Amino acid sequence: MTSERNRWSIVADVLTGLLALIWLLPLIFTILMSLRPSNVPITVGNIFIGCGPFEELDVLCRFTLDNYYEAWLVAPWLQHLLTSVLVVIGVLGVQMITMTLAGYAFAKLRFRGRGLLLGFILLQLMIPTGVLLVQNLTLVRELGVFDTRWALMMPYWGTAFGVLLIRQTFRGVPTDLEEAARIDGANTLQILARVYVPLSLPTYVAFALVSISARWNEFLWPFIATRTAEVRPLTVALNQLYQTTEVGAQYGELMAGTLLVIAPLVVLFLLFQRRFIESFASSGIK
Amino acid sequence: MMRRTLLMLVVLVCVLPVAIGISAQDDITLDFYFPTAVDGPIVSTIEGYVAQFNEANPGITVVPSYTGSYTQTRDTIVAEGMEPIVDVAVMLSTDLYSFIQEETIVPAQSFIDTMDDPAAFVDDFFPAMLLNSRDADGTIWSIPFQRSSVALYYNADLFEAEGIAVPTNTEELIAAAQALQTEDRAGLLIPVAGGFPTWMYQAFAAGFGQPLTAEDPSVVNFNSEASLDAVTFLTLVGTSAEDGGYGVGPAGGSAWGETPTAFLAGQAAMIYHTSGSLSNLLNNADFTVGVAFAPSGPEGPATVLGGGNMYIFDDGSKTQEELDAAWAFVEFMSSPEIQSDWGVASGYVAARQSAWDMEPLASRVEEFPQYGVTRDQLDVAVMEFSSYDSINIDGIVNSTLSGILSGEVPLEEAQATLDTAQAQIDGLLDAYR
Repeated sequence: MTSERNRWSIVADVLTGLLALIWLLPLIFTILMSLRPSNVPITVGNIFIGCGPFEELDVLCRFTLDNYYEAWLVAPWLQHLLTSVLVVIGVLGVQMITMTLAGYAFAKLRFRGRGLLLGFILLQLMIPTGVLLVQNLTLVRELGVFDTRWALMMPYWGTAFGVLLIRQTFRGVPTDLEEAARIDGANTLQILARVYVPLSLPTYVAFALVSISARWNEFLWPFIATRTAEVRPLTVALNQLYQTTEVGAQYGELMAGTLLVIAPLVVLFLLFQRRFIESFASSGIK
Repeated sequence: MMRRTLLMLVVLVCVLPVAIGISAQDDITLDFYFPTAVDGPIVSTIEGYVAQFNEANPGITVVPSYTGSYTQTRDTIVAEGMEPIVDVAVMLSTDLYSFIQEETIVPAQSFIDTMDDPAAFVDDFFPAMLLNSRDADGTIWSIPFQRSSVALYYNADLFEAEGIAVPTNTEELIAAAQALQTEDRAGLLIPVAGGFPTWMYQAFAAGFGQPLTAEDPSVVNFNSEASLDAVTFLTLVGTSAEDGGYGVGPAGGSAWGETPTAFLAGQAAMIYHTSGSLSNLLNNADFTVGVAFAPSGPEGPATVLGGGNMYIFDDGSKTQEELDAAWAFVEFMSSPEIQSDWGVASGYVAARQSAWDMEPLASRVEEFPQYGVTRDQLDVAVMEFSSYDSINIDGIVNSTLSGILSGEVPLEEAQATLDTAQAQIDGLLDAYR
């Protein structure tokens, strides 16, 4: 009985490992390409390691950090990093507030038109962001925030996904707890801050990760809504490495730049890995 | 506590846009959009030129905006819709007639005519560089900025070792390719695979006697004898000898991006590519890179220009001062000093003759005479395909050529296919005749 269970768990481990490998392959490929000298095409020799046509035995001849240096020269990366970080924080901070308040209202308050209103908000989930591009641009220009970091944040301050998520979580919090707090003299904001939010922390963490990675990876809106380098995020700078159509793709530099851009997120994830996985498991986001 | 924070946030959100809006000034501000198409720190180079201009011109502030690729630049301008922000932009030289039709640009000619010595300014540009700037009446609309042409690159070490002369026409090109071809080395790579062979094709159409377009934007020559000869030649390059071809390259041609890398790795003796690749090839090759006039015709070399020009935009709302400021900036960017520096920094062919006598370009050419070849072959260059409705016509030309080159359409049916495409093109152009 035990040995059979062990056998199945080994099979499961192997299958998990294989799946993980499939997901890892693009990343491995990216790293290898970023280290490959630009005059050694991928078609020469072994795709992973192997060697240039002239130095058959020297494995190290394949590896170079030149691509990272070249990619580093292309843009003021630290400045773009600052913008990316500020935008991510500026979006997430406001989202936390709006989705908490709205989530509470839809979960616990009874008012006329609640279902209809929630329906409207959820409708937002079905509209692809690209459709709103020109409208958002016009709005941002009328507000006078075109070509500022505010333009990158504003369209995301209200989040249908976040509202839905928090509403569902708050609905799972027993109203008895709220009533007990109210008897102790707490007002609604205090109840939110002391009762609902602490009990829903895993949901917040999970939402934060989704929101951070979505804003971090976003290209089109920042590209359209800003013009000056000072207020442009990392993705727009990365575009420069991608746009070498006339001379052909410089894969080494492109991959090196890509790794530079994703590095902060990867580090963040590795640091809080356990926390994130627990949060996703308990909040049910995939 | 929480309530106060919340209140402050709401106030902040309401006040902030107003606070930002106040920072307006009396200076003329120009928004300059530029795409990139080659590698290297191109954006910071251009921002450097803009900073130079701003410093030398108090009262004018040019705000440089990197706008991605040519297509992304175009999309950005389109997204701005009825209230355009753009004042000056680098766009494809072949976009001329769409801009003229949209009535969004001001002809450079109107500023050139007010110069002290218009002829001196115009004559300093290589005549070929202005081919795509002029309309059928000879009016100059745009000013060349980042221009390139199709060139032949060859592995000079191989040529020397085998004692082969550098080809000057299609016959010698094939002979050299056949002599230098080995098991793991193609004789000649021409990047016409991947769905966009029009640019390469144009060099050969010109070489075989009839360029795709000339001055008249309502005429496109796609089913002439030269067209058939050019597309036949390009197809035979990739057709094996058993099937009656020259068999010196891969069937269907090579892919654009992979061609320079294959050359660098010693997998090709000769390649056709843009002059913009020269710096990359010189920097990364472990052999001597030779550059020659593209030997695209039976009678001798022929090439085609490509790349981007500067346009001044006006939706009718601009004052004369603003337009003059925009022209001052365009004139600055096309000045020999900037073009000389730009040629070295980017690898584009400097558009003005005097730029080549200036530093740093003069020293670069002395050290690497290859750069001089890309300049000298301007003598055999034709204008890039440019016509009314060019986006749709470009689509027809690309798909027709790709069909023949890939072997999907056999060569015996090539003429009929070209005739069909020509009929479609004429249908589109009839509206403009």
